[in-house]
Amino acid sequence: MNLIPFSFRTVFSNILYILIAITIAVSFWILLNTFDKLLFFSPVWTFYLPEDAVLGFILTNISSILFGILLSMNIYIIKTAKLKVSNKSSLFSGTTLGIISSTCASCSSIGFAIISTLGGTGIAISNFLEMYAIPLRIVSILILVYALYLIHIKLTKSCIIK
Amino acid sequence: MSKSFRISILLLFIVVVLSLLSLNYNTLSVNAQENNEIHNDELKFLIYSIINNTNSPTLGNSDAPITIIDFSDFQCFMCARYVKNTEPIINETYIQTGKAKLVFKHFPIRGFDSMGASIAAQCINDQGQSKFWKFHNILYHNQGPIDSGWVSKENLKNFASQISGLDMDRFVNCLESEKYKEHVQSDLELAKKFKFTESPSFVILNSSGETDPEYLSGAHPFPSFASIIDKKLQKLDNR
Repeated sequence: MNLIPFSFRTVFSNILYILIAITIAVSFWILLNTFDKLLFFSPVWTFYLPEDAVLGFILTNISSILFGILLSMNIYIIKTAKLKVSNKSSLFSGTTLGIISSTCASCSSIGFAIISTLGGTGIAISNFLEMYAIPLRIVSILILVYALYLIHIKLTKSCIIK
Repeated sequence: MSKSFRISILLLFIVVVLSLLSLNYNTLSVNAQENNEIHNDELKFLIYSIINNTNSPTLGNSDAPITIIDFSDFQCFMCARYVKNTEPIINETYIQTGKAKLVFKHFPIRGFDSMGASIAAQCINDQGQSKFWKFHNILYHNQGPIDSGWVSKENLKNFASQISGLDMDRFVNCLESEKYKEHVQSDLELAKKFKFTESPSFVILNSSGETDPEYLSGAHPFPSFASIIDKKLQKLDNR
């Protein structure tokens, strides 16, 4: 019995889509870890993983891989079948949530911008984002998994796979 | 080429651009004039006022050739990460060896209770700098969620009571009268002049006050500090 779903085997049998997935996953990994203040490019290139960031880092890795796989599969569908992306909203909401929850809104410049623009409300928003960063990331992963399920269904049930 | 395909390509492009932008997200180690548009004369005055402000808590030898100025908020999660992971190595490598000193500046931007925590810390500093650093570590190691009441006046008094030799009556009077509110606000104004938007933020410079400061924004790891400090020490040795 093959444990890899048919939709995955179909898309990733082409090396181009593996490359696209890796490029997207790496790009997101860099982006999210930079926002998480784990990856630094100046004054020296450094990656460090303090104890308090381990869980967030694991979730970031999962999100990045999911972003890569999903976007690559979407590109496959559009290119091969000329179909519309049916799970656009799931993909975008998962991506947005993943990025927002990774920016440590309260400590970063983004958080400062929220606070200085919205005052007391801004403090409440950034506090919420910081306090619930991990649950928000878990929700973002769940949304991405759901989007992945939708795309799997679309690929296996539609007539585009010969 | 279908519209959806073009959208996907655009999305891919955005992802790559965002990643490239992120390369510069934490790179604030640039020339002061480029970064902050502070004129040299103003910068000299600011640095002079920081170095000579005896009310600012300082750790290390006052004659140390390098000064690290730390703008932090006691409620900031990233500041706690820096205090737990990076500061002890900086302390051991540069401060205890007399190569650098650390000046603490208040940057209470994170929540409504941040100001109170800063005033309390400054009141502790009134009774000795070593007591301030103990209080500083107690707060960061007991940090709770922002504005959850963990730095309420009552809790601040409890934290202060853990410091041996502290005159509690004097501390409580200082805290209740908000004796150091102006001092904390002046630190905050200073951070604004440097256009810092993130806590913790750092200025690293020669203690002589020469205008070659380097800036770091965020809870950078030790190698970031080491690269700047070592470069500055090497320059001083070559003179």
